[in-house]
Amino acid sequence: MLLETHREAIETIVGRYASPRSAVLPLLYLAQDVYGHLSNTAIREVAAILALPETAVFEVVGFYTLFYSRPVGTWMLQVCDDVPCCYLGAEELITALKDSLQIKEEATSTDGMFTLQRVKCLAACDRAPVLQANLDYVYDVTPDKVEALLKDLRSRAADARRRGVSGRFAEDFAVTEQGAVELVARDAPYQSRQFEVQGPPPPPEPIPPPEVESGQDRAETRRASPL
Amino acid sequence: MGLSDYIIMRELNFPDINRFERYCQVGGWEAYRTAVKEQTPATIVQMVKEAGLRGRGGAGFPTGIKWSFLPKDVFPRYLLCNCDESEPGTFNNHQIIDRNPHQLIEGVALSAYAIECHTAYIYMRGEFAAAALTLEQAIDEAYRAGLLGKNILGTGYDLDIYVHRGAGAYICGEETALMESLEGKIGQPRLKPPFPAVAGLYGKPTIINNVETLANVPRIVEKGVAWYRSHGTEKSPGTKCFSLSGHVNRPGNYELPFGVPLRDLIESPEYGGGMKGGRPVKIIIPGGASAPWLTAKHLDVPLDYEGVAAAGSMLGSGAVIVLNDTVKAPHVAYKMDEFFKHESCGKCTPCREGTHWLVKVLHRLAEEGHAEPDDIPTLHGIYRQMAGNCFCLLGESAVMPIKSALELFPEEFEAIIKASNERHQRNGAHAIPLRVS
Repeated sequence: MLLETHREAIETIVGRYASPRSAVLPLLYLAQDVYGHLSNTAIREVAAILALPETAVFEVVGFYTLFYSRPVGTWMLQVCDDVPCCYLGAEELITALKDSLQIKEEATSTDGMFTLQRVKCLAACDRAPVLQANLDYVYDVTPDKVEALLKDLRSRAADARRRGVSGRFAEDFAVTEQGAVELVARDAPYQSRQFEVQGPPPPPEPIPPPEVESGQDRAETRRASPL
Repeated sequence: MGLSDYIIMRELNFPDINRFERYCQVGGWEAYRTAVKEQTPATIVQMVKEAGLRGRGGAGFPTGIKWSFLPKDVFPRYLLCNCDESEPGTFNNHQIIDRNPHQLIEGVALSAYAIECHTAYIYMRGEFAAAALTLEQAIDEAYRAGLLGKNILGTGYDLDIYVHRGAGAYICGEETALMESLEGKIGQPRLKPPFPAVAGLYGKPTIINNVETLANVPRIVEKGVAWYRSHGTEKSPGTKCFSLSGHVNRPGNYELPFGVPLRDLIESPEYGGGMKGGRPVKIIIPGGASAPWLTAKHLDVPLDYEGVAAAGSMLGSGAVIVLNDTVKAPHVAYKMDEFFKHESCGKCTPCREGTHWLVKVLHRLAEEGHAEPDDIPTLHGIYRQMAGNCFCLLGESAVMPIKSALELFPEEFEAIIKASNERHQRNGAHAIPLRVS
């Protein structure tokens, strides 16, 4: 039970707000990290801690995309598919991930390691294509770097289980040109990005519009409208 | 033309300014120390007003004036820092927090002092998990230095700053939805009036400002109004962190004074470095997903609120997306409206249904290539029913991509319809296949 194992953390969180109800999102994150996903029992538990009607908390879980009401993989892979990412390789990245993991969007790989999801803008458009693995940013993930990334993530599975899927201990990573996954240290001095030296412009090659099958695969990342 | 003394992106002057000691060494927290010890809150409000600081979140509303809407003698008050940056093309808040977090915290503290509030929340989108940790660390350092907490620097002023993470909903960047979310509810906007300054968080007077706006405040107070006004234009003073993305050689955040021509941002080797592979510019979205589109003929538009508005668009959040001639306008409109459809909160019908139908028609048209002869009037009809009828700006914003696409590139829609029609004639079958699910 959360109240027994995390009483101090819960009291600190609730103490920040004039109304305990404000603590719903932080407590749901906590519950999600402890239980892996938000089962009905977990949601009811949060409602009980905050003395809220259960529907008020179920409604919140349904509304926000970062709460998972069904089991997810050790790594939740969330790929941004918005403009401009979609024109800079995001569709190809999603295809590469699906091929490599042999799963459809919104599904979990058979070994329980990865869940793949299409999400909306991740606010890192300058480092496109970009994805988040359990809310750790991974920048510059071109499709050819997928294998290296998946291998790296697999090797850090134990760490991912310890940290949980809600990003309460998140870190940022970048994939180098050579395919190495490197931690972006949060307190490191700023280094301006290195851009490739521009040679003479290559002959323009028309990029075909991204191919998408008949749309059956694009399950909604959010459950139905709350109304 | 690059700035020698950056206002916001000071990591370019001092690469390790993300460390607390370094920030203090280069004059950080001095403005705040002086303010709480020697200046009245009204002085700070007056300075921000005179500096002409305008909200960087999109509306460009003068910050000092917003602050002065607070009713007198009603307490407690709240300050909310809006860091729910999630519109396609925007990514400067993220960099400010990663690279210059202490300036943001000082800005929040200074603004809280100016509006006489004792509790401030920084509402971050849920995905900014690592950035939330960075900020929490920076806040802890300020507490340890006695700059936050009870009886700050012996002046009797108390202030607490908390980081609050959302959980993945663009709508929570709308100020009233942000307050709903902070109150632990689903993020649906409230009816205005009453405006947040009168009845906001928990029904108390509340001020909501964007990350970049608040990060400006310490520099205005430290260096003075005249220095600040020496950047930018008369009506849009200061600088803006433009987030440049899309088919350019050097996407990234570039801090420039207001009024710089769009062309410089895109083509200058210091900034955008020109288009990838030298391809021509086709679509420029100058202010995030909700801004009407511009094209290559607008490259000389000055990047300030008035200049971009005169060109028929809006500067918004300063997120400039540049796309080349390989993209199809109907497809860009489809992707943009898919974003708005996904993020619509479902509260009002024009937005919930309108975005749904726009995406339905555009998906069939742009992704599948199946068109009905009257698709163009249908699309016009849908967005006209949305425009002016939505509860908040999200629905109004969803109108812009499709309206721009139809106005600027009608021939691309017609071409799809024509091709679809010909296929229809050739095959003798209905152009739209039955969807097998």
